[in-house]
Amino acid sequence: MKGLITLLRKYIKPISESIISVLIGVVVGSIIILLAGYSPLVFYEALFSGSFKHTRAFLDTLSYMIPLTMTALSFAVAARASVFNIGAEGQMYMGALIANIVGTYIRLPRLIHPFVAVIAAFLAGGFWGWLAGILKTKRKVNEVVSTIMLNWIAFYIVNYVSTYHIFDPKAPYKTAYVLESSRFPPLVKGTSFTADFIIAIFVAIIVFFLVWKTSLGYEIRAVGLNPTAAEYGGVNPGKIASIAMFIAGGCGGLAGAFLVLGRFGFITTTLTNVLNWGFDGIAVSLVGRNHPLGIIISSFFFAILNSGALEVQVATSKGGQIGVPYELVLAVMGIIVIAVSVPGLLDLIRARLRGRKEVEKVAMA
Amino acid sequence: MLVVSGLTDYAIEMKGIVKIYPGGTVALKGVDFAVKEGEIHGLLGENGAGKTTLVEILYGTRRPTAGKIFIRSKEVDVKSPRDAMDMGIGMVHQHFTLIPVFTALQNIVLGDEPIGSMGILDIEQARSKIEELMEETGLKVDLDTPVENLSTGEKQRVEILKMLYRNADILILDEPTAVLTPLEVKELFEFLKKMREANKTIVFITHKLREVKAITDVVTVLRRGKVVGKVKTDEVSIEELARMMVGREVLFRLEKKPREPGEPQLILEDLWVLDDRGDFAVKGISLQVRSGEIFGIAGVEGNGQTELVEAIAGLRRVSKGHIILAGKDVTNADPHTLYELGLGHIPEDRHRRGIILEFTLAENSILGLQRKNPFANNMGILEEEKILDWARELIKRFSVDAPSPTIPASSLSGGNQQKLIVGRELMKNPKVVVAAQPTRGLDVAATEYIRETLLRMRDEGRAVLLVSADLDEVLMLSDRIGVMYEGELMGVARPEDLTIEEIGLMMGGVKLDEIRKGGAS
Repeated sequence: MKGLITLLRKYIKPISESIISVLIGVVVGSIIILLAGYSPLVFYEALFSGSFKHTRAFLDTLSYMIPLTMTALSFAVAARASVFNIGAEGQMYMGALIANIVGTYIRLPRLIHPFVAVIAAFLAGGFWGWLAGILKTKRKVNEVVSTIMLNWIAFYIVNYVSTYHIFDPKAPYKTAYVLESSRFPPLVKGTSFTADFIIAIFVAIIVFFLVWKTSLGYEIRAVGLNPTAAEYGGVNPGKIASIAMFIAGGCGGLAGAFLVLGRFGFITTTLTNVLNWGFDGIAVSLVGRNHPLGIIISSFFFAILNSGALEVQVATSKGGQIGVPYELVLAVMGIIVIAVSVPGLLDLIRARLRGRKEVEKVAMA
Repeated sequence: MLVVSGLTDYAIEMKGIVKIYPGGTVALKGVDFAVKEGEIHGLLGENGAGKTTLVEILYGTRRPTAGKIFIRSKEVDVKSPRDAMDMGIGMVHQHFTLIPVFTALQNIVLGDEPIGSMGILDIEQARSKIEELMEETGLKVDLDTPVENLSTGEKQRVEILKMLYRNADILILDEPTAVLTPLEVKELFEFLKKMREANKTIVFITHKLREVKAITDVVTVLRRGKVVGKVKTDEVSIEELARMMVGREVLFRLEKKPREPGEPQLILEDLWVLDDRGDFAVKGISLQVRSGEIFGIAGVEGNGQTELVEAIAGLRRVSKGHIILAGKDVTNADPHTLYELGLGHIPEDRHRRGIILEFTLAENSILGLQRKNPFANNMGILEEEKILDWARELIKRFSVDAPSPTIPASSLSGGNQQKLIVGRELMKNPKVVVAAQPTRGLDVAATEYIRETLLRMRDEGRAVLLVSADLDEVLMLSDRIGVMYEGELMGVARPEDLTIEEIGLMMGGVKLDEIRKGGAS
């Protein structure tokens, strides 16, 4: 009983903070909508209810959770080791490319094929994340800089390979469809709710288990919270941070694989169909407090916003009058995202400052 | 020498200064401190005597709880270093406050930058003034080199020039020689003499007895927040200074069972270790700690103790020499290997090394054991029930005051955090225990508990290396002690064979055999 209360207390603060943040974002967003001359009530009704109109809309909403969860996990695992990984985008591109190649050019039986492609994508994304980790620990390159650069390198690699080598001769703006044997089929016909959803949730649970229930996870968290104490505990902080970045990158790679093998079946040569999921994952992770289970909830929230955005336009148009422009919808969503990310960001900044203060304290002593 | 007219010729007068820190630590118990204009005034004392607190109050970085400050006979309220600078007070801290990527010139003018026409920064304007200063004082630095490329001695010169550039005529130097080579010390002293000729007032904080004799005119000795004496330097012997610095009324002794020590378990052979700056902090230390004995290392902090402990614990590279633990050469082995071979380490700074505040007590109780059976299985999965049982036992055996092993370590008091660390290290059943500053900042009850535990370890036949800046603690617990000064052992002896004076001399940099030969000064 006592344990349950402490457990609840542990979660009440972050959850209530997240809810308050959502409300603040909604209020600020309302002001903008009012200024633009629309009704906030209609706006939000549409934004939040679009996903629940009918089963199909709901399942489509759920399908957005798949890549969001993966890229958010990428951010979260790295953040646990105190690495600020904004490279999920690039890790996702690499995963998408490798999944695409394995799905197209290797012939395997139906059940095995997607898993081989997924593992290959995990390794590719993992390698991409690990590069940033190793640059940080061996050469002290700031991970923010290196992951941004690696994002661009990945973008142009995929852009090049898809434009010149694996394009679809019949439709050269994209790659050919991956083989049917490598696809994750829809769980419900006619929706984009594909079978990889189950795997994505499963991966989130594995990550939770890894971070909280294993020696490796213990060491990752120790390095993130107090690297000098971790070192004292026989942990090599650089090595653990690199491993964390490998796992993080792997999750990013999975996002790419699921988009290719599930939702789309191809990548466009300019990557338009996979763009930005990696960056959205940062916000998802911050709202989910860098916790795998929190991420599942927050990615559901983001998925609702995502599918609601289109609904708003329709709902707010009345007899000849044009609805709220999509751009404005995105702006309001942006405000909500910022408001919701603030507590998570504050936590990260606070942890960093404290780390620095501790070092100063030692220097002063 | 110049005679100053006026009511008094005191540049600084601090009267009845009391400082009580939040938490109740009394750092200064009514200190009177007066420095005449144009003198070099030594401020001598061991750790915790209150030297630094006193000058921090003078410099405005701390506020006194009670007391008055007069600068040139005028009562003042120093609210901040800015105020102090305006009154002509400058301070060089032990740890420099320079910006590494800025050049020496930029660092010197920082905070008081010359403004040219149109309000545009014109640093060059300051160059000639600074060059003149360098000429006058003999403190030469290449002004266009980024500070990060300067040696430690040069950085200190930049700090001093920075004070002089602001026209400071009261200079406070906090342990200025701690970071200098012997040649640089000589140069610094030359400079200080020149400053005295120029009628500047200098407060020179130190624990080094020979330096007090060499450079100061007057010395005030602090002990535990009180002034124990103010004397003209040439009227006092180095032995008397030593006695004043460490003199103790009654030595508090713990009940200690006599015990024959056994085999050496920890052997250091000619150990050399670098500090973070890349200078040698440990210079050829050799010692042996035998099972069933406590070997205490005393000395003023910052004389290489931290680096020595880190080297033994596998947290800092050994440049030269050997460490032998339980018969195996473990020089530069990683902490994990050392724990396997039977090392227990109670680190100096529990928040930096010993504990992860956000982790639960249970998680902290296996720090260093997180991959070991029975806490993790072969798959690397943590065995939560076993970890909880272990933590519960630790809490019980070492009377950690905690309701449950699942609360975060941050919710414990400092004393209980330390008990947790000590308990964890002992439950590893180590052959050798290295305890660094084990009772620092703890209340009386916790302190006593930790000390008794250390003695129990000794009685159980473990080899204990105790490193502490608390001289009483070292004398009370140790079977043998060594005093460390500038990276070397000044001497090793049984505490009962040493006089207070001898200990004070060793802490101040005189070797034991020199003392016994009678050649201290």
